[in-house]
Amino acid sequence: MSHSFELAHGLARLASQVAGDGVRVEPAGGGPDGSLGTTDGSVRDAITRANSGQGVVVLGDLGSSILTVKHLLEEGHTNGHVRLVDAPFVEGAIAAAVMSSAGMELDDVARAAEEARGANKF
Amino acid sequence: MSSRGPLSEVEVALPSDVALHARPAANFVKTAMRFRCRVMVGVNGKTADAKSILAVLALGATGGTHLSLSAEGEDADAALNALATCVSGLVE
Repeated sequence: MSHSFELAHGLARLASQVAGDGVRVEPAGGGPDGSLGTTDGSVRDAITRANSGQGVVVLGDLGSSILTVKHLLEEGHTNGHVRLVDAPFVEGAIAAAVMSSAGMELDDVARAAEEARGANKF
Repeated sequence: MSSRGPLSEVEVALPSDVALHARPAANFVKTAMRFRCRVMVGVNGKTADAKSILAVLALGATGGTHLSLSAEGEDADAALNALATCVSGLVE
């Protein structure tokens, strides 16, 4: 989930390619008419599309996109187990998608994303 | 001997057609996470925490590469046995 359509879709494509076909990675990003922002509807739809297994791990790029998800969760607009994680956007998404491909539990997938904060790039 | 338990080491080769990326890397990390001991994996002078998927992916180990596994803790031997079996059985 990103303020940017391109960022959300680019990261989803990258994570899908690394993790393989068995993992649902669904992007939500951008406001109406190509503007920057996040909408409740697009985030809710992405969570619904991704919710094909034990649950959904949600990552956002910056603060106000996080607020969009928090709002949805608080209002009960999502079904099933949805975990919003505080993690680096790119590394967290890759870590979560790859661990999910090995059939890890939702808690472990969420933890892998959060632990990405401590990973060095080189 | 350290109070943290014995240090064990083993070397194992990846199958020639399997790189330590994507699902193979995830299965490797998943196996390491079953154990309490600290497990490290080394490739060509680089070393990573075997329980960190990003660290393992960053090794860039290609098919046929020899992995140096080391573990420290009470279940170190069991962890290395499980990881050696895991590595030799990895498929793309």
